[in-house]
Amino acid sequence: MRKYLFIFKSELMSNLQYVFNIFVGFFGYFIMLFILFNLWKYMYSDPNELINGYNMSQMTWYVIITEILWMTLGGRKLCRKICNDVRGGNIAYNLNKPYNYIGYCLSGHLGSIAIKGLIYTVLGMIMGFIFLGNFPDLNIFSILAVLITGILATAISILLITFIGLFSFIIEDANPFYWLYGKVILILGTVFPIEYFPTFLQPFLTFSPIYVVSYGPAKLFVDFSFGTFASVLLAQIIYLFIGYLLCTLMYRKGVKNLNVNGG
Amino acid sequence: MLTAVKNQFKISFLTIKYALMREMLNKVTFITNIIFMILNNASFIVQWIVLYSLKDNVGGYTFKQVLLLWGMAAGTYGVSRFFFKKAFSLSEIINNGKLDSYLVQPKNVLLSAITTDVEPSALGDLLYAYIMLFLFGCTFEKFLLFTMFIITGGLMLTAIAVILGSLSFWFNKTDIIADVGNSLTTNFATYPDGIFKGIVKGLLYTLIPVGIINYIPIQVLTEFNLGLTLIVIGFTIFLVTLAFVIFFKGLKKYSSSNLMIARI
Amino acid sequence: MAIIEVNNLSKTFKVKLKEKGLKGSLKSIFKPKYKVIKAVKNINFEVEKGEMIAFIGPNGAGKSTTIKMLTGILYPDKGDIKVLDIDPKKERKKLAYNIGTVFGQKEQLWTHLTPYDNFKFFGAIYDIPEVRVEKKINELKELFELDEFINTPVRNLSLGQRIRCEIVASLIHEPKVLFLDEPTIGLDPVVKENIRTLIKRMNKEYKTTIFLTSHDVGDIEKLCKRVIIINNGQVVLDDSMENLKYHYLNKKIVEAKMKEKVNLDDEEGITILKDKGYNLKIEVDTKKRSVADALKLLNPDNIVDINISNMPLEDIISTIYKNEADK
Repeated sequence: MRKYLFIFKSELMSNLQYVFNIFVGFFGYFIMLFILFNLWKYMYSDPNELINGYNMSQMTWYVIITEILWMTLGGRKLCRKICNDVRGGNIAYNLNKPYNYIGYCLSGHLGSIAIKGLIYTVLGMIMGFIFLGNFPDLNIFSILAVLITGILATAISILLITFIGLFSFIIEDANPFYWLYGKVILILGTVFPIEYFPTFLQPFLTFSPIYVVSYGPAKLFVDFSFGTFASVLLAQIIYLFIGYLLCTLMYRKGVKNLNVNGG
Repeated sequence: MLTAVKNQFKISFLTIKYALMREMLNKVTFITNIIFMILNNASFIVQWIVLYSLKDNVGGYTFKQVLLLWGMAAGTYGVSRFFFKKAFSLSEIINNGKLDSYLVQPKNVLLSAITTDVEPSALGDLLYAYIMLFLFGCTFEKFLLFTMFIITGGLMLTAIAVILGSLSFWFNKTDIIADVGNSLTTNFATYPDGIFKGIVKGLLYTLIPVGIINYIPIQVLTEFNLGLTLIVIGFTIFLVTLAFVIFFKGLKKYSSSNLMIARI
Repeated sequence: MAIIEVNNLSKTFKVKLKEKGLKGSLKSIFKPKYKVIKAVKNINFEVEKGEMIAFIGPNGAGKSTTIKMLTGILYPDKGDIKVLDIDPKKERKKLAYNIGTVFGQKEQLWTHLTPYDNFKFFGAIYDIPEVRVEKKINELKELFELDEFINTPVRNLSLGQRIRCEIVASLIHEPKVLFLDEPTIGLDPVVKENIRTLIKRMNKEYKTTIFLTSHDVGDIEKLCKRVIIINNGQVVLDDSMENLKYHYLNKKIVEAKMKEKVNLDDEEGITILKDKGYNLKIEVDTKKRSVADALKLLNPDNIVDINISNMPLEDIISTIYKNEADK
């Protein structure tokens, strides 16, 4: 475990120098949220009106959280890196190192986005407060719950993207698959909560990764209950396990082929 | 004078043609890029279906008008990124001294520099734009008007990019500012203007002229209005002229690759 | 008649200094720091029609800056330039019609097109009628021996072939002055020689004035009759190649292989460059000592083999650079 902590730390340190770019990048996030805030202000004729169980402030906060999770993730970069590792033979080079490639990807990428996540979270909160003038009902439990599920959500995303990236063992370029995954998360999981979609779709969405990588933490932030927390956490643990398993299987299979072909 | 303009057009046309040929060397990548861009744009329709299930009218737009708005955004984006791709990395061209080879040619430096590369995926945007027009309801007149508006809009987006990029003649690190500025116009372009009020609305018709690039054309395509059309054309001429003036003013400060050497 | 006239030309660059980290980045936006570099300081020279002139100097001496001002790429701060009586500052396009440029490190050709298509493209850039372009391409194809690969995409050509095409592309519009910036950089000796021969032939054929910068002494020695040396932004020497050599011709290099060891020390007019017992290399300043004197010192009976040569141009030039630096 200590070596993964070290990988995490060194990635974090090397990303400190890009703090300026993170701030500039936040501007794009700000504009997007500003537009969505205006959109919801328009959609709600009365801020206390409930649409699909959410009031206006909750809808805005919901998007603020999902967008922080999404923008922080840097999934495209991760997928491209893994594809390059596989295609460029970097994986073969990693084979004789005393660490697990999946663990390396997870801790390394978490380290490289940690600062960005922190900055986006703090600025996102300030921004939301300026837009809306209030926070949702928060207490120490709900804040902790959001933090825990938020970090787990990011870890699961990283594992799923790693899995997609490892597809390049089989096909020439896995980036289009990532693109598809990203589109699904963005369209079905970022702008609207699951309750906004047709009833027949909702069960599918609840069991899809959307529930654990974006809906869960955001829902807990705007409408906390211990029941929701328990089910989100349980689902996340299951997904974490599945994600890790998928990556490991894919990696083993890929490396086996690699050995047969002689790298 | 007239032959000079004709020759300039001939060169720009040839440059774009050759740049396109270069992109088409790898046909699979070329076509994949185009298709993915169409799918990418299409995926956002989901968002609007959800929104219109809540209300019949969002920001004063019907669902069909939002489709057309998307078409307009994709079309203007497509025109600017396909024909003038390099305008969006002008900062880098200036900072790295890549204008040299155009400066020794007897043609317009700015046009040579920005037409030298094309973005294949922008063709996907252009196709998508016309698909949206057909969904909105297309007549021959609307086809012509729409085509004109995506050209004027594309020119305005390019002009903004050139103005922002030209800042690099004077200031440091403006490439980031240019990127932010360019993404601003795209971000606002896909939402109906009715959801914005006050200062922001004012900004959208002046400093971030999304209103003139996208919103007015939607209005004109819904119900023709000569005055508004002339405003769009007039503003296009103004912005393009401004872009040329600023670029050529900055060009006197151009330092080729000398700064690079000194930086090492 | 002078084809290039340069009077009191100066150019200064303000280099933005960047500090590291977030603080540095912010600082450089709001309060940029500059370092002023005087790249060219008040230089003057003239070039006559049909001349092949070498414009040389160490890295950072101001050669590129000067050539860029002459071709209209850079704006001078001070001074006047007239190339073919055209002021590059005021009439960049008019100048462009009349000059050709080859920058060895920068490619102007489309690599996915054939040389032929590239030449046609350049023909269009210079507004030359179709028929005339065809004729010109044929003519230059002969002169530069491009027949073999004129229909092969440029990206499949060797570096030497590419440079030949670059030169031809810059000649399509029959420029009266050709600026060659490091044309042989990165080429192997055989190809270099070939390029030189072609340039020479071209100069003879079209009477094109050639303004050449190069680090390669071979280029300069083989091609140019006149040399301008620039260092620290100033002209330190402007003379004919003959004079340059003559000025330093009083120095002879004597390399000798001996039967027996000789022990020599530096003395008036004689400098030992290398002494490996049986193999000697000495420099004789013929103003102070005759070569015969030097040979006597070596004892002629003892000499197995001997070679007496002029000081290589390379050394001459570096001596001049060094002398300047010492001043």
